[in-house]
Amino acid sequence: MDINAILLSLKLALWTLVLILPFGVWVAHSLQKLGKSKSWIEAALALPLVLPPTVLGYYLLVGLSGKSLFGIPMVFSFTGILIASLIVNLPFAIQPIQRAFESINPEIIEAAQVSGLSQWQIFRLIELPLAWRGITSAAVLTFAHTLGEFGVVLMVGGAIPGETKTVSIAIYDKVQSFDSAGAGALSLLLLATSLIAIAISYGVFGRNPSRRSGWRA
Amino acid sequence: MLKVKVTQILPNPLQIDIECAPGELHALVGPSGSGKTSVLRTIAGLNNASVGKVECDGQTWFEANELRGVTRSLAPAERSCGFLFQQYALFPHLTALQNVCIPLQNSGLNQAKRQSIALDWLNHMGIAELAQRIPHELSGGQQQRVALARALVKKPKVLLLDEPFSAIDAPTRQSLYKILAELRKELRIPILLVTHDLREADLLADHITVIDQGIGLQTAAPRVLFQKPRNSRVAELVGINNIFEGIFTSGKLSWDRSHHIFNVMDKGKIPPGTPVAWVIPADGLSVHDSQVSDGIPVVVEQISALGQIAVIQLLANNSAHTITWEASAAEVKRLGLELGTKTYAEIDGSKIHIMPLRSINDPRLFTS
Repeated sequence: MDINAILLSLKLALWTLVLILPFGVWVAHSLQKLGKSKSWIEAALALPLVLPPTVLGYYLLVGLSGKSLFGIPMVFSFTGILIASLIVNLPFAIQPIQRAFESINPEIIEAAQVSGLSQWQIFRLIELPLAWRGITSAAVLTFAHTLGEFGVVLMVGGAIPGETKTVSIAIYDKVQSFDSAGAGALSLLLLATSLIAIAISYGVFGRNPSRRSGWRA
Repeated sequence: MLKVKVTQILPNPLQIDIECAPGELHALVGPSGSGKTSVLRTIAGLNNASVGKVECDGQTWFEANELRGVTRSLAPAERSCGFLFQQYALFPHLTALQNVCIPLQNSGLNQAKRQSIALDWLNHMGIAELAQRIPHELSGGQQQRVALARALVKKPKVLLLDEPFSAIDAPTRQSLYKILAELRKELRIPILLVTHDLREADLLADHITVIDQGIGLQTAAPRVLFQKPRNSRVAELVGINNIFEGIFTSGKLSWDRSHHIFNVMDKGKIPPGTPVAWVIPADGLSVHDSQVSDGIPVVVEQISALGQIAVIQLLANNSAHTITWEASAAEVKRLGLELGTKTYAEIDGSKIHIMPLRSINDPRLFTS
């Protein structure tokens, strides 16, 4: 089994998660306060869902080609596929969190205002815990999706072992070189990971708001 | 003292002028969608009116005029309001104790002290043993007590109650009436109660403001309101059945100049021949099986028996006017009333209340 590809995919998924979740929470929370411009921004953020990955990959390749970040080239590098992964995952990270914020009864926020909490306290003590399931869903979806991302990563990063050759690209390579057993093993791994991720999202966090131990008044 | 005088046209009309003294319970009564809750929201700072002033305990919370717009508007957090929401709006992820602790978050007290104060309040509401439960593990009445404790824990300067008794069963309601009565004596702050239940307002409030389409039509003590509604819309909203139109000339009121002339006291403010609206309060009407002086011959048109009481429609002879009479089932039996029975209605002229006749469809006309 291609351990390097597995480790690289995990690294990419974790970095994507770490960077996109705070951004997703901020964007989702900010979107609630927008007026008419909201639907345009939402449409732009959802674009990666409908755009063919190769098209997005092509634009990123053209846009990032020849540019570097802190001396690291932005195409055919880990930084490049991380940027691509962040863009591709925007809708997966933002939409569940946005739905979670939207489902909070506005009276609860008003009760918090009348209770004397500041905007930051309302966000930290009320909204964030109540949106927790949405944030978890976003994390699981982003993680699973990044592990399996193929088109954009291939366009922007190529297939450099240890740098940009993720599990999905390794599977493609193995099929090309008639290594069915290797491709099968990696595919099974991705299948199992995705299944577990979805099961966590659906099962463990339940459907009812539950007591959370993270905060004590 | 809470003083609220606000006006707005859009998005929804609002025209309110009320004052509520410390320890006073002031009820806002009106049909659904009449803007009662908007008044509370304006006081709490959750909505702003376009013109007016909200003042509490000598401090201006909100001020706006037509020329300069909003000149002062404190955020809800700065207004010191205890707000009991209709659906309680408890924080669903926090325990009862944590819910009550929330308003003390910025009090400067340490966590142990905050919890101790919150627990005292839960104890006061008789639910200290439920402190560790989250809202969905509590019944409606228990949730409401938690919400009330949360509204009061920070010692607010005014307590705003939005339809607090609408979603709870009768026994729970009775115990909450008791709690409210005790709190009133204890807290000595203005309490505003929004309700659509007039009996409840009559039972609990010192003053009632009748609101319709966002406009305060009349503010009065409950007894005055029921006996002397300012106009026919108020009479209608406070559930007075017998509202009629008529002609008033120098102390004489008639349905149409010819039939059934009543002697009515007035302050001499109404010009002769003025069309008026008039009401017969419940205690101004009696029914007899034989003729009495000034008795109006009537025919029983309809009897609706509702358990121990009956609502009887009496058609006045020689006119198209129907008088509604609420009586006990025993009284109906004693008089032997059945459909078509001819009997006599006596209307006490001294109890008749006359009002200017204006269009019911335009409540703005009633405010003068």
